[in-house]
Amino acid sequence: MSGVIHWQGRALPYRAGESVASALLRAGVFSFGRAATGQTLALFCGIGQCQGCLIREGGRVTEACLLACRDGMVLTPAAGGDDV
Amino acid sequence: MMSERPVVVVGAGLAGLAAATELARAGLVVLVVDQAQAAGGAVHRQPLEGVAAVASAAQARRWSGVMAGVQAQGARITLRCGTRFGGVDHTGAVLLSGALNALIRPRALVLAVGAREAVQPRPGWTLPGVMTAGAIQTRIKTLAEAPPGRVLLAGSGPLLLAVGAEMCRLGRPPVALIEAARPLQPLAALGLPLAYLAEAAGYLARLLRARVPLYWGAHLTRIETGEAGLLAHFDTSKGPRRIGAEVIGLHDGIRPNDAGLTASAALPVLRLGDCREALGARAALADGSAGGAALAARLLGRAAPPAAPELDRQRAAQARLARIYAHDGAARLADLPDDTVICRCEMRTLADLRALGPAPTARALRLDGRFAMGACQGRFCAEWVGRIIAPTTAPQPIGATRWPTRPIAVADLLAASEDLEGETE
Amino acid sequence: MAPTPEFDVAVAGAGIVGASVAWHLARAGLRVAVIDATGPAAAASGASDGAVSVASKKPGPMARLASGSLLYTRELAAGGVLAGAFQARPAYVFGTGAVEIAALDALIAKLHTLAGPVRVVGDGPAALLPGLGDQVERVVVLAGEGHMPGHRAVRAYLAAPGITPIWPAPVAGFEADATGVTLDLGGRRLRAGVLVAALGVSTPALLPGLPVLPRAGQLIVTDRGPCGALPGSLTAAAYLVAKTAAGTALPRPPVVIDPLATGQYLIGSSREDHGDPSRVDFATLRLLLARAVAAWPALRDRRVIRAFAGVRAAVPDGLPIVGPLPDVPRVIVATGFEGDGICLSALIGREVALMAQGLAPGAEWAADLAALSPARFTALRREGVA
Repeated sequence: MSGVIHWQGRALPYRAGESVASALLRAGVFSFGRAATGQTLALFCGIGQCQGCLIREGGRVTEACLLACRDGMVLTPAAGGDDV
Repeated sequence: MMSERPVVVVGAGLAGLAAATELARAGLVVLVVDQAQAAGGAVHRQPLEGVAAVASAAQARRWSGVMAGVQAQGARITLRCGTRFGGVDHTGAVLLSGALNALIRPRALVLAVGAREAVQPRPGWTLPGVMTAGAIQTRIKTLAEAPPGRVLLAGSGPLLLAVGAEMCRLGRPPVALIEAARPLQPLAALGLPLAYLAEAAGYLARLLRARVPLYWGAHLTRIETGEAGLLAHFDTSKGPRRIGAEVIGLHDGIRPNDAGLTASAALPVLRLGDCREALGARAALADGSAGGAALAARLLGRAAPPAAPELDRQRAAQARLARIYAHDGAARLADLPDDTVICRCEMRTLADLRALGPAPTARALRLDGRFAMGACQGRFCAEWVGRIIAPTTAPQPIGATRWPTRPIAVADLLAASEDLEGETE
Repeated sequence: MAPTPEFDVAVAGAGIVGASVAWHLARAGLRVAVIDATGPAAAASGASDGAVSVASKKPGPMARLASGSLLYTRELAAGGVLAGAFQARPAYVFGTGAVEIAALDALIAKLHTLAGPVRVVGDGPAALLPGLGDQVERVVVLAGEGHMPGHRAVRAYLAAPGITPIWPAPVAGFEADATGVTLDLGGRRLRAGVLVAALGVSTPALLPGLPVLPRAGQLIVTDRGPCGALPGSLTAAAYLVAKTAAGTALPRPPVVIDPLATGQYLIGSSREDHGDPSRVDFATLRLLLARAVAAWPALRDRRVIRAFAGVRAAVPDGLPIVGPLPDVPRVIVATGFEGDGICLSALIGREVALMAQGLAPGAEWAADLAALSPARFTALRREGVA
């Protein structure tokens, strides 16, 4: 294990190189919050195509399945889904 | 970065690296980018550091061969992982974001972004814990880990057998495997390549040894939250059943991952491998090599090499596999409850679709219905919207291709270093 | 003997202008057909930023008509057809550097002269609008303008009883005679007393003598962010320069940032002389976004979900074309609004509906509308129009 990421007040360990979505899944975190559309953000396709696993780090919203874990990272719900 | 304008290859899987090797072999400079942290694509997704590989010896050999081919080209091929392709515009400018942030004008663009899965909408398919079978396979390959809790696999396609068998190998057999088709047809299977049969037999053997309940000709009808985790309801030939699970891996087929891929008048843009035609690993390798060689010939003004026969062989094999796996599960779309979500991104339901009338135009679907207007560009809903509206017609994308190819962070667009001096040819 | 018209008026073009004309005619009890090659709001009206803005209009007929149309739009929105489509909200125009500051002065003077529904309620440094980037030198706050998504207004207008929708059906040609106009819709012919051609960029196909040219503008749509942080549209003064003094070199990108009701932002735009909605390029988007982020730093956290080019119908002299064709009075044109269609649609719809009934336009608007008449193109028209 290489460090911890922070989600909703929990410090969660991760394996070196794995994605945020992957670490959260292991910790039993299946939902990343609700989007403005009502969609529950969560892991679905795992390869950055479905845009369902959006999560916020700092100011930026990005796909949790493509975001590599870094020690001390703080993640928060994206709170605002995508639309056109 | 590079004094010569490179050919940009998007996707460091079999097709992309095979193409890059041929391009470099012809003397061209190649920049390969991939959104993942390492090369491998989907088929050869690599284990993370310190993780025991789950790949077979044969698979490992094939991948070593591919990587050796790349390494033999030395500095002509640059590989940048953790880098996403944002699209190509009509001037021939390509945006790359991530580990490499650049706006460049390559000599040519190869798109080798592989396949994605089709997942048929069912009530409850948007609940957390419901994911694609491919997402589970990704986890297994990178971490040698199954998802936590009870895992159910459902839908249709050989991938279900593969994922189920891989889970058994890890000591975490799925609670059941629900397959809509009845693929155990010995006569039909005889026409398949031996390698396919051997693989399938191996998967089946593992599943049977682990006593995983296998339901053929069975259809997952709905998912709801249970007392603990999820509850999956499914129809079998012997009547309705239900089973509890924390994670449900759905899969209803493989499709080219070609949504949002555009052409450009300013430079050659080539699709290779599964994103052009989903034919699997062997075809991707052949398509990549042949496509790369053909592109190199075109760019250098040389004669084009002959086409590879491998693709025809794989096409025939895939067609046979499709016949073996044929089933009428799509007919169940008509019986879905009105509140079933069809477009995940916008949470648009079957009722919303029906409200548009019997033959809505693409514009009505998007502007009024808001289908395919979400961030995934209709990747996951367009096929089913099409099948519901016109069951007998081949599904189409809904409206014009959206651009850019994926959502791009404003910060990334502004951070890209600009290198657009190269003239288009 | 010419057949009895099925319709009193046929409106060719289901964009916002055509829809407004049709609504006014239906309200007057006339039988109206609206014909479109594709469907409602298929072109510019469906790609608009929805700005109902007087600030951006050239002084003179355009600004006056816009002023009147804004007032009328607000009337129609107060419990009428446009309720739910139009939303009043403040508008912010900002500037940095001498050219833009001068444009802001000109804007204030123009609004003062108009003495219309748009009032300057603030004028000062960036701090006047919380969230505005501190590089901005000055911001002017306007009250009285609003926002109306084109496709929503079109849908509202076309929902009126008495309007017969006919689409998809391109108008391939027409023949006017003493008692009416016969339209060729490909497979079918349709007869009406009067034809209103509100065809936008498709005008030249039917009326080749009229100089209507496509002028594309690149637009960016972002994902959703917190709603309400930007209460109204945020426009760079360079945009006013582009609109009111065409041909002047712009010192900075003419960016407009529009908060949408969904919490997304619409950011534009460029002015390019072509009609291809797919011609978007990263370099232009970067220029627009760089200025947009400097003006509204919260945009830095957003993602671009889609970019495309909206195509406006432009006229070389910068004025729309509104009025009956001089030699063919049964054909009335209403086109060439080049990005001003959303704002002008209410008033133009009302006045063109009057023209179609053979009635005089409102006295208040007669002179300004006369400036838009197609008669100003007689030399060109003689060559092309039936």
